[in-house]
Amino acid sequence: MAGGQTGRPLTIVVLVKQVPDMNAVKIDRATGKPVLGGQSIVSSYDAYAIEEALRLKERHGGEVVAVAAGPPTVKDALTRALALGADRAIQIDVPGINDLDTLAVAGLLADQVRALAPDLVLVGQTSDDYETGQIGPQLAELLDLPLVSSVMGVAVEGERLTLRRDVEDGQQTVETNLPALLLAITGLNDPRLPSLKGIMAAKRKPLERVAPQSAPAGGRTVWGEPYVPERGVTGTILQDVSAAEAAKQLVAWLREQKLI
Amino acid sequence: MTDTGAGAVLVVGEVGADGAARPVSFEVLTAGRRVANALGGPLVALVMGVGVGEAARSLGAAGADRLLVADDARLAGLTTEAASAVLAHTIREVAPAVVLVPGTTAGRDYAPRVAARLGVGVAADCVDVAIEEGELVAVRPILGGRVQTAVRMPGSRPQMATIRPASFEAAEATGAGPEPEPIAVDLAPNDLRVTVRETTAKEAGPTNLEDAWAVVGGGRGLKEPDNFKLVEELAEVLDAAVGATRAVVDAGWRPHHEQIGQTGRTVAPRLYVAVGVSGAIQHNVGMQGSDYIVAINRDPDAPIFKIASFGIVGDLFEIVPALTAELRAARS
Ligand SMILES: Cc1cc2nc3c(=O)[nH]c(=O)nc-3n(C[C@H](O)[C@H](O)[C@H](O)COP(=O)(O)OP(=O)(O)OC[C@H]3O[C@@H](n4cnc5c(N)ncnc54)[C@H](O)[C@@H]3O)c2cc1C
Ligand SMILES: Nc1ncnc2c1ncn2[C@@H]1O[C@H](COP(=O)(O)O)[C@@H](O)[C@H]1O
Repeated sequence: MAGGQTGRPLTIVVLVKQVPDMNAVKIDRATGKPVLGGQSIVSSYDAYAIEEALRLKERHGGEVVAVAAGPPTVKDALTRALALGADRAIQIDVPGINDLDTLAVAGLLADQVRALAPDLVLVGQTSDDYETGQIGPQLAELLDLPLVSSVMGVAVEGERLTLRRDVEDGQQTVETNLPALLLAITGLNDPRLPSLKGIMAAKRKPLERVAPQSAPAGGRTVWGEPYVPERGVTGTILQDVSAAEAAKQLVAWLREQKLI
Repeated sequence: MTDTGAGAVLVVGEVGADGAARPVSFEVLTAGRRVANALGGPLVALVMGVGVGEAARSLGAAGADRLLVADDARLAGLTTEAASAVLAHTIREVAPAVVLVPGTTAGRDYAPRVAARLGVGVAADCVDVAIEEGELVAVRPILGGRVQTAVRMPGSRPQMATIRPASFEAAEATGAGPEPEPIAVDLAPNDLRVTVRETTAKEAGPTNLEDAWAVVGGGRGLKEPDNFKLVEELAEVLDAAVGATRAVVDAGWRPHHEQIGQTGRTVAPRLYVAVGVSGAIQHNVGMQGSDYIVAINRDPDAPIFKIASFGIVGDLFEIVPALTAELRAARS
């Protein structure tokens, strides 16, 4: 979306969640429980949120502040945001964050974000690991901000914000005023990779570690132990047959079903 | 309005831009009916939007005991804040034990927003619901869909959940249904901060995915973009459209309009052929409505085989060319 060049510098907060790499999730066959191995990464939709924050800053001036709540290790995700171009970062120290419900996490984030008085808050549509998609809407409620989700294009002109969204009914254009909270989704932009210069610069940028401003009140939701869902009704599965034989059997089956 | 009493279940029905109730609305009614029966309470449906009268009646007829309708021009496009205000107001009026909301783009925005306003628990994008010891148990996939977890909200009144599309059978009409009762639409200026300028229907795209009788979906198993020609050739002999997983769209191998799944298109052709696709839940929600699913994957544990009507475990680079040749021979 073509961006207007008008307007004042923007204070942009971008939320960054650190998650285990979902491609490295293994299921322990003995217990049927998931094993989260591999590297921790920035949740995939947050990459679009960070990129959009940086582009808006490049266009309008201002400041990009990355915020993450979690154990000390989430520093890595914030460092990446700094390497990409964020100006500073805040880590809210919450060791047992996965035991809190989404409203409690949104509450801890709200305390920090409110103090920054941002013009825009950019959040991922849903996180890669627990995929609730609830932090954004609940943070918007706590900060009393308008919420626009599934955002594929952002333009700021003065106080006016025009957003392109992808919804069930098609492409939608909506308008609102700053300040607002947006949920970023695939297709919003093409996230950059950190440059060597950026990685070096990140070391000198401020990364503040703060304690939660209030004791998190959780417990509204209680999650059971994860389990592998039962295998549903399956059809024919061919294994250890040659490609030619498999192709023959599949074509015969397609014929039987009257599909060809 | 009279309190419907403890144990009432409130379901929200959404209406599409075409004026018809969204399919997921009927699925949420099925889930709501199950919960209401277990609690021994009435099933109350709320339909919000503008000009939704007829769609609301069709939903009421599919098994609701009461039908509440919020019909107001300001609810066009169901912006989050306006929808939240109406839903929060209705919850205060009806005092339901459980609230079920469609897991649509809008529903997944206003349900958690309302839950925050009321300070209650909400479970996102659930594929199953039950009542155990009087409490809602909502099942949702996590960690990329490989596993599920059961969410309980013991202290919350109401207990809320959004329902993932295509997780329940659609409820069918059982009779004329209840008379619609209008519900007050009391909106503050702050509820109207977002305005919808325009909505344009999805461009069909060159492949016209939604209308194709068959779709061949390619995934990362194809290894590199050029290998998609295997998928294209197979699609050509089948007269099928080409689809893709997000993994390959993100990698820039295929355009975004070909992406099938949660954040792409939803297709339900007669035949879906998944080539080198692992079958992550986010992909499957976009194609599991297909009549027949064929999967070709070398990993016997790939989740795609759980929904396949015909699966071949093996190397796609051997199987797909053999299949294309076999089909070509069958054609001529
Ligand atoms: C919030 C969120 C939203 C998402 N939305 C979507 C969405 O809309 N659509 C979507 O598709 N995904 C979506 N995803 C991503 C999804 O979780 C998966 O990561 C993605 O679908 C995987 O794509 P894939 O199957 O191509 O790749 P992989 O998971 O890498 O699977 C590749 C498969 O190819 C097989 N394979 C490899 N080599 C061969 C060979 N030689 N022969 C045969 N088989 C082979 C492998 O066994 C493997 O199963 C979303 C994820 C998140 C977190
Ligand atoms: N602990 C956290 N710290 C910072 N941002 C978060 C955190 N949890 C969630 N978010 C943000 O909220 C989005 C949606 O997360 P979720 O609601 O968990 O699906 C993520 O993509 C992040 O942008």
